[in-house]
Amino acid sequence: MANFLAQFQSIKSTSDRLVISVEDVSDLWPAVKPAFEARLPFKQGSLNNKTRNPVLVEKLPAEFILTTDSRLRSRFPQEQLLFWFREPYATIVLVTCEVGWDLILTDPIIYIVYDKVVVGVYFVQPLNPNSFSEGPSFLRRCSHVVTIVNTFWFMDLDEFKTILKPRLKLIVQNDEREWFIVFVSRAHPANDKASAMAKKVYAKLEVEFNTKKRERCCKYDIHSPESNFWEDLESKIMECIRNTLDKRVQFYEEEIRKLSEQRLMPVWNFCNFFILKESLAFMFEMAHLHDDALREYDELELCYIETVNNTGKQRDFGGADHGDDQAALLNPGNKALTQIVQDDSFREFEFRQYLFACQSKLLLKLNRLFEVASRGYSFIISFSKSLALHERILPFCMRETWVVTACLALIDAILSNYNDGLMAPDIEKRFFHLLGDLYSLARVKFMRLAYLIGYGTEIERSPVNSAALSLLSWPKPAVWPSVPADASAEVLEKEKVILQTTSRTKPFGIQRKPLPLEPTVLLREANRRRASLSAGNAFETFDGRQGITEGMSPSQKVPPSSIPRTNSSPGNFDGSIDRPMRLAEIFVAAEHALKKTISSQELLKSLSSSEEFEQKYLELTKGAADNYHRSLWKRHGVVLDGEIAAVSFKHGHFDQAAKSYEKVCALYSGEGWQDLLAEVLPNLAECQKILNDQAGYLLSCVRLLSLDEGLFLNEERQAFQSELVRLAHSELKDPVPLDVSSLITFSGNPGPPLELCDRDPGTLSVTVWSGFPDDITLDSINLTIVPTSSADEGAKALQSSTPNVLHPGRNTITLDLPPQKPGSYVLGVLTGQIGQLRFRSHSFSKIGPADTDDFMSYEKPAKPILKVLRPRALVDLDAAVSSPLLTNERQWIGILVRPINYSLKGAVLYIDTGPGLEIDDSHVIEMETYADVSENDDNKVQKDGAQIDSLNYEKKVERLTLHNGKIEFPNWASDTPSIIWVLVRAMSDMLSRGSSSVTTRRESIVDAMRTIALNLEFGVYHNQIFERTLAVHFTYPFYVTTRVTDKCNDGTLLLQVILHSEVKATLTIYDAWLDLQHGFIHNGQTEGRPSSSLFPLVISPTSKAGILFSICLGKTNGEEDRKQQESILNIKYGISGDRTIGAHPPVMDESTKVDDARQELIFKNAITLQRPVLDPCLAVGFLPLPSDGLRVGQLVKMQWRVERLKDLDEKEVPEQNDEVLYEVKANSGNWMIAGRKRGHVSLSPKQGARIIISVLCMPLVAGYVRPPHLGLPDVDEADVSCKPAGPHLVCVLPPALSSSFCIPVNS
Amino acid sequence: MATTACFIIVSRNDIPIYEAEVGVAAKREDAAQLHQFILHAALDIVQDLAWTTSAMYLKSVDRFNDLVVSVYVTAVDALPFNIGLDVDVAVVSKEEWTLLNPLYLPGSRITSSHFDTKVRALARKYL
Repeated sequence: MANFLAQFQSIKSTSDRLVISVEDVSDLWPAVKPAFEARLPFKQGSLNNKTRNPVLVEKLPAEFILTTDSRLRSRFPQEQLLFWFREPYATIVLVTCEVGWDLILTDPIIYIVYDKVVVGVYFVQPLNPNSFSEGPSFLRRCSHVVTIVNTFWFMDLDEFKTILKPRLKLIVQNDEREWFIVFVSRAHPANDKASAMAKKVYAKLEVEFNTKKRERCCKYDIHSPESNFWEDLESKIMECIRNTLDKRVQFYEEEIRKLSEQRLMPVWNFCNFFILKESLAFMFEMAHLHDDALREYDELELCYIETVNNTGKQRDFGGADHGDDQAALLNPGNKALTQIVQDDSFREFEFRQYLFACQSKLLLKLNRLFEVASRGYSFIISFSKSLALHERILPFCMRETWVVTACLALIDAILSNYNDGLMAPDIEKRFFHLLGDLYSLARVKFMRLAYLIGYGTEIERSPVNSAALSLLSWPKPAVWPSVPADASAEVLEKEKVILQTTSRTKPFGIQRKPLPLEPTVLLREANRRRASLSAGNAFETFDGRQGITEGMSPSQKVPPSSIPRTNSSPGNFDGSIDRPMRLAEIFVAAEHALKKTISSQELLKSLSSSEEFEQKYLELTKGAADNYHRSLWKRHGVVLDGEIAAVSFKHGHFDQAAKSYEKVCALYSGEGWQDLLAEVLPNLAECQKILNDQAGYLLSCVRLLSLDEGLFLNEERQAFQSELVRLAHSELKDPVPLDVSSLITFSGNPGPPLELCDRDPGTLSVTVWSGFPDDITLDSINLTIVPTSSADEGAKALQSSTPNVLHPGRNTITLDLPPQKPGSYVLGVLTGQIGQLRFRSHSFSKIGPADTDDFMSYEKPAKPILKVLRPRALVDLDAAVSSPLLTNERQWIGILVRPINYSLKGAVLYIDTGPGLEIDDSHVIEMETYADVSENDDNKVQKDGAQIDSLNYEKKVERLTLHNGKIEFPNWASDTPSIIWVLVRAMSDMLSRGSSSVTTRRESIVDAMRTIALNLEFGVYHNQIFERTLAVHFTYPFYVTTRVTDKCNDGTLLLQVILHSEVKATLTIYDAWLDLQHGFIHNGQTEGRPSSSLFPLVISPTSKAGILFSICLGKTNGEEDRKQQESILNIKYGISGDRTIGAHPPVMDESTKVDDARQELIFKNAITLQRPVLDPCLAVGFLPLPSDGLRVGQLVKMQWRVERLKDLDEKEVPEQNDEVLYEVKANSGNWMIAGRKRGHVSLSPKQGARIIISVLCMPLVAGYVRPPHLGLPDVDEADVSCKPAGPHLVCVLPPALSSSFCIPVNS
Repeated sequence: MATTACFIIVSRNDIPIYEAEVGVAAKREDAAQLHQFILHAALDIVQDLAWTTSAMYLKSVDRFNDLVVSVYVTAVDALPFNIGLDVDVAVVSKEEWTLLNPLYLPGSRITSSHFDTKVRALARKYL
């Protein structure tokens, strides 16, 4: 059956569409052919696929072929069965009932035919030999003929039965063809008779050939086809095709099944199976059932792999023909099947490509580009493995060449069919990644080929190239190609190139072994493969050295001692099989071998020179990168961008190179793959340096320094640093900002945050980690702190006060902290300057240098570094003593200074006395610790949790001096409460005034108060200020009240003087005497002194003592006594008190102080003695007020009656004795007085004279108020008798409500 | 089983937080870079694949010549990807969870020598 292969292939190539045979019974085909063929290809049809499910097929191509055609007639039955797919799928039987005249027009004869029999011949002389086609003019000239043509003769029913029916039956019987009858009516619609006859015959036809299950007839009216005829026709054709297809599929399946069952038998022939299977597939393909066709090919492939590969027979792999290096995986017709057949099967090399080509063709027809790509990639990979297995028999590097061409062909085919936007996004993503893979694969193999012929120096030794090539094994040909005899010039040329090539030095003098581009050293590999054929392995010793030196510069690769230079001279290549080849020779040998292998001119061209290589390399790299980017495989894409950058760099396109390198670096650094970053970053830095991108270059230096220390040598890191410092100090013209977050990190000190009181400055200590390899001097370091609470407040910069040299590793810097607002603060940004370089770092580190800066940057520490407490009382100043002190004496004022958890170290207290108080001239101040036992104990228990014996508390006393009104606190007083004793004197020039026991005390306590203003400046920088004004109570030692206890008959008055002790101290009265005022004299000889035996009289604090003086009314003659309006009580007293309690003995000057001397003080008190009104001259009576009472706002008339009680003594009467001066006094806040307040009224000097003085007043406030008082200023009080005798009150009602504003409740 | 292997734990942001080269074969000088490069590139595939399957162990997601990349995708934030070259990553990863320090800060680099020793011991056990 293999003999049919050639035939099979030719049939396949010629028949590409379904065949519909036409059985033309009545010679109608020429008339209907144009209309029928116009329907092709069929627009839509429903066919069954292999699983008998309907499939909608669009644009199904088909061909109408007459059964009489030679193509259908000349076939052998066996062929028919084997190539059944080309047989007609439907048969149309064309019939008509019109057996009429017909004209056959030939030049220049017209045949008249009746029922296919020529019944007459006319000869027409044409006017123009070419005018036969001009029907109308021609027919006009033979009108009699036209008349004959129009006269039809119709077949009647009998004739149908006898002639047509048997003929049709004959056609359709014993034939498995799918057929149907098209009844063609040529009758003109106007011709009723003809139409009627045609209908009759058609009806008969239907009766005869239609069955219940299937209608096999349709009628075609040439002149006016029925509207649904064509649909009918197409559906019938489709039905036929469907049925035929089903039948044939069944047949093929059956056959295939049979063969499959036998496939493990020795006689089995794959070719037969292949023809059947492919016939089926081809049939599906013709029927546009591509999916089914594809499945058949898939099964065929599976079967091939299973049966052919597992039979164990050593078969020819194929691929040895010229041109086989070019992949034919998209061209099924690349080779004739007969060419690839071997025995009873096919050669793997060609056949698998053939199968894939068939599959990919179908997939492309189905527009399933993704599948083409994915299957193609898998196929290339698996086929490449097969090629590897047979590498020994294939030409040198056949595998690499094949993969390159296969990938490129596949990419071309896919891209030429690709329309954007047709794929689902998800599929499209994967599609592009497959394209990227294909490009990538082609790129790697292409690089391998290029490396073999010596373009290795053009390939960047990057991680991606190294990973790709160093893991890719060398070609394993049976024999490594040897140098052709006439290639000495080329070898010399290559050697020259090798010697001229200097490996690119890395920037910053980075010493790093270049990444390998080969799995093992090529020199060794090539020679080993050659040596395996030669006798000995003596070269191995030499080879060992080669291996070591391979990584160095190419000039060192071939030690001259081992390979003399003369070896390169012509003529020495003969017999080189025993001599190890040199690298140049290997390159030349490989190049020659490749030229033999590679048939593709394009590929050859790409490998012809380093420029061409680079162009292709770029094209492949760009293709891969673009597709990876489109598939969102950024890592793959960006890495290849880096390769493009390397080429740009080589050609001096530094701008492009920098852009691409930046992308690569951003990817690696973003994801923290430092090993990879360390490889690319120096290149970027180099670009930036050349481009004079100072900011970028500096940043790259910083990033290089930030990498793991192990990635670079210390010298290299020092080089980075010196580069950075050099730029910062010299080359930069303008300040350049730089982010060094990855290099310099900082953190607060562990432990609780620094706590500061409000308004306190401080010093903040911060740990800074320097990633520089050496010490680095910074011009300045600033650090911002950010309040955590209020977002609106910006960060505040702090200046470092420590020397700005950062050592590698940990450094502690201190920052001056000006007073901050209350709240918590966290560290913000570290900024600083190195020369013109302004750097800033955002990185916080917790325990060490931030090697993981990326995570640190988003994990900002919430831990506050500084807490500024809300304003609170830090100190309290108070008066130590609350009880009064002595006026006009030198007294100690105690100021209690109580620090509240705040040190008063170095505090200064400014003291300023208020009016009436002065600090003693000596400016002596005493300061002592204040030991409040109970409070201290409590505090200590609370603070320390242990009782501290308060007795052990050392009391300190220190004498200080006041300088310019300020005191500086000693150190011991910084934390403990203390009392400052200040010596002062309260000045009062007012005499103490006693009062009558019946009257209330007039003296206001306010008068005795003195103020002392205190201003305490404290805190480290005296930034805290506490101000307070203390009120100190000063008093005289006694308050004196007097009372006349008895009035004796002899005029002696017993005056009782009661002394109230005003101080919290014991007073001792040594003496007391009374200087009486005018009108009073002492009784007896006592001279106003009580009995001396009474003294000393001791008066306890707050107690009273009384002294009784005996006086009487009388007059002294002395002028002085006349002037004295008040009596003066003199008391000589002493005081014994403690300053911690209150009043105490006045401080004596050191100079006047006499030891043990009794300190005697004099207290003077004025007492007003009032002579009793024994014979008043005038009486003033307050007349009763109106009975309805007083009301605010109402005028009231106040009346006083003044009456003369006795005649005036003439001597004493002044000149205007009949007039009395009066004066009304009233509190202006309470009363408004209308009229005169003061004036004279006439009053007769006679006894009994009286007068009433009226004054209109208006009360202003409600309540009990004192009424206006009428006084007589000219008359001595002792001569006036008042009624009521003392002050009294009147009731004033509030103003009456105004009714006009009242609103009745019920309305 | 291969004689050399590389094992990397990758954090949420694709940052390698732990890296171990294990195996008995003599270490190639460029192996670290090579392995890093391959595993880094494999992240492209892992990120696509991790969302399409509920499986945590993605065996042989990528293949680079003879090197096979397997991934154990975890459901915890701390160790999202454990990528290994020629390692039965699943076994190592599962056991590795038990080694995690409870005070470990997610995202930071794992520097514990104890952890390193344990992982290497595990790798030796399963290599």
